[in-house]
Amino acid sequence: MATRREFLWAGGLALAGLAAAWADPPLAGARLGRVPAGSAGRVVEIRMRSDALGSRVWFDPVGLRIAPGTTVRWVLEANVHSTTAYHPTNGSWASRIPPGADPWDSGMMTRPGQTFERRFDVPGVYDYFCIPHEMAGMVGRIVVLAEGASGTGLSEPGPASGPLRAPSDAALAALPSIESIVRNGSVRAPDPGR
Amino acid sequence: MRKRTSFTLAALAALAFAVPALAQPQAPAAPFQPVSALVDLPDFIPGMGSLYVDPATLPAGPFLAYDREGHLVSTIYMVPLAAMTEHQNFDGLAVGDGEVDHVDIQYNAGHPGVAEPHYHVVLWYVSPEAAAALQ
Repeated sequence: MATRREFLWAGGLALAGLAAAWADPPLAGARLGRVPAGSAGRVVEIRMRSDALGSRVWFDPVGLRIAPGTTVRWVLEANVHSTTAYHPTNGSWASRIPPGADPWDSGMMTRPGQTFERRFDVPGVYDYFCIPHEMAGMVGRIVVLAEGASGTGLSEPGPASGPLRAPSDAALAALPSIESIVRNGSVRAPDPGR
Repeated sequence: MRKRTSFTLAALAALAFAVPALAQPQAPAAPFQPVSALVDLPDFIPGMGSLYVDPATLPAGPFLAYDREGHLVSTIYMVPLAAMTEHQNFDGLAVGDGEVDHVDIQYNAGHPGVAEPHYHVVLWYVSPEAAAALQ
């Protein structure tokens, strides 16, 4: 007997209703790929997106640089998604967040407009994924870096070892480089309509 | 024995047989269960309808989809890409009771329960226009 989590649901999801207007506007730059200076203590948004058939799914932006103390708000736009840190507490994944940082897992988000927030205080590189879409490459990367810092010394998370799981090939291929995030402030996924 | 993939429509039609207790309009009887009762999903999914499945038939299904009036609108099978590349067979799949109007074969990036890329094979019993109106 399948467990609740193991259970299938038919997911061509046309849960295409867009999120409601932003009652508490986030940093405008978050939409366009830039986080302005002075963002510490502010909120930036990452959209959890999908096409109508559920064929293409992605975080938007997929890469984001923020200052320590910034809160990230994930907003479910369509389909069913999660935002889940690569960490042993989230399903035996090898950690891909900084030592000393707390992992997070939104659980399954099912209602368009639903949000999940998490404040980032520890500098470093955070890789996360969507539980049902990890193998499809729906991942994101957040670089927490003090304003004005160059990012020198930041490095890609190391490979998994022992029984801990590594990201799928599709996930690794979809992660933007740390350098591109530091340079651009944020990185958007390739046009899914290509 | 060499495995082969059998996903052609002809094969599906040849292998399918009627699911009992699908009198319309009403939900299918046990062992079918509403998907919405098993996961945190709406009772009605726009573009698809209200879905039912017998858990013993996972992952392929069939899933039976109903419109808001309780009429069967489609039978859906889900085939992971990994199953295809491994040349797995899915023989003797059941099918809903109705005359097939058209078939959609659609890629899906994954969803709870099938957290991997896969294909939906959808046998529609209604026109494309009626399918699009499932909102």
